[in-house]
Amino acid sequence: MYAEKACNLIKELSRCEENLPPYNNDLVKEVCSEIKQLHDQNRIDGAIVANESGIANHNSVQYPTLRVGVAATKRNVRCLLAYHYNRLRTLRTMRWEFGSVLPAEIKTNLSPLETEWFSKYSSSLANYMMSIGEDGLNLGLNLRPPKALYIEVRCLVDYGKYELSDGTVILLKKDSRHYLPRSECEELITQGIFQHIV
Amino acid sequence: MDEENEPESIPNENLDLESDEYDDDVAELSLEQVIEIMEEAWLNEKFAPEILPNKREIVEILLGQIGHMDQKVQHLDSLDFKRAFYQKEINRLKFLVTSYLRMRLEKIETFSKHILQQERLRVTNNENLYLSQNELEFAQEYEENLNQHFESVMSFCPTVMNEEALIVKPNMRSIVFLKAKKDIEGILVDESNDITDLSTGSRILICYNNVANLVKSGDVHLL
Repeated sequence: MYAEKACNLIKELSRCEENLPPYNNDLVKEVCSEIKQLHDQNRIDGAIVANESGIANHNSVQYPTLRVGVAATKRNVRCLLAYHYNRLRTLRTMRWEFGSVLPAEIKTNLSPLETEWFSKYSSSLANYMMSIGEDGLNLGLNLRPPKALYIEVRCLVDYGKYELSDGTVILLKKDSRHYLPRSECEELITQGIFQHIV
Repeated sequence: MDEENEPESIPNENLDLESDEYDDDVAELSLEQVIEIMEEAWLNEKFAPEILPNKREIVEILLGQIGHMDQKVQHLDSLDFKRAFYQKEINRLKFLVTSYLRMRLEKIETFSKHILQQERLRVTNNENLYLSQNELEFAQEYEENLNQHFESVMSFCPTVMNEEALIVKPNMRSIVFLKAKKDIEGILVDESNDITDLSTGSRILICYNNVANLVKSGDVHLL
């Protein structure tokens, strides 16, 4: 059946909503070649169906075939675009979650083109943030409405020494607990160094 | 809150917080107004389906104030009782500004093609742009990257790309909750030509399309 493979692409994506499945290069290639083949076929059919003045002859035997072919091509293209577009959207959300450096296990799931897009997106985002106000504003901070000034966090890795903005140096050891200003640890939480204890 | 008339322009003269000897009362009042405008802009942006005209001046004034307050707090003794209060307020304001800008970015990304089209239209009609300069730059870069990505994905068969199909438009017919800031007469409620009047402070649930102009002119605000 036409467009079945394209539909599988979409299904695969919708199964893992907030996760990024590996880029399915093989299936994308198959869909592409189906589109190409349909496209060529449509052209041949179109030449048969069209009469001398170039307008489609509705009574031609080939006419329904042509209609089906065109619809299938359109559907394939749409699915293909949706697949790529929605992957970029997920990737975009991840940029906000993880910052400009993605975890290695996500990186391996990207196609080279997506990696390229991600770095471009990151840099235009960084440029934008730098241009706000006098000396830039990091929109990656203050993601949630502030509830309390200080929060309790647990350190998940042996990080070593960390300097707070007021100059105090604290030692972050694995499994140590700290009671710190929220603004100081937000970035470390996104990086996965701290865990917020609720 | 409703009796107060929102100042149309930003009261710059009252915002003289940069001077070292500053009067707490005056400063707090004017800062309060700025925050009020910002909060309203934030709510509007949050609930309106389309992007609204930017509030660049307000954002910049508020950012300046936050920076100033930040410095002041640093000078306070860490055991000072006031410090925690100031710090809390600063964090709230920071959230307000960043959240506002983030929501705008999200809209810009989702509707990039549509927004850029509209902005081009505004340039030809000599209207004020909705995006600020840096937002516009970001939108263009984003758009270019997206196009490039699609083009390379579809490069095997360039003839099948249909530009129109790629445009994502906001749903202007979505329903919003709003509150009138002054008496307004003759709002169209739906297609059946039902008309209603709003008195100051009254609230209504209505289709965004019918009130988009009022939101932009600041006569109502969304909740």
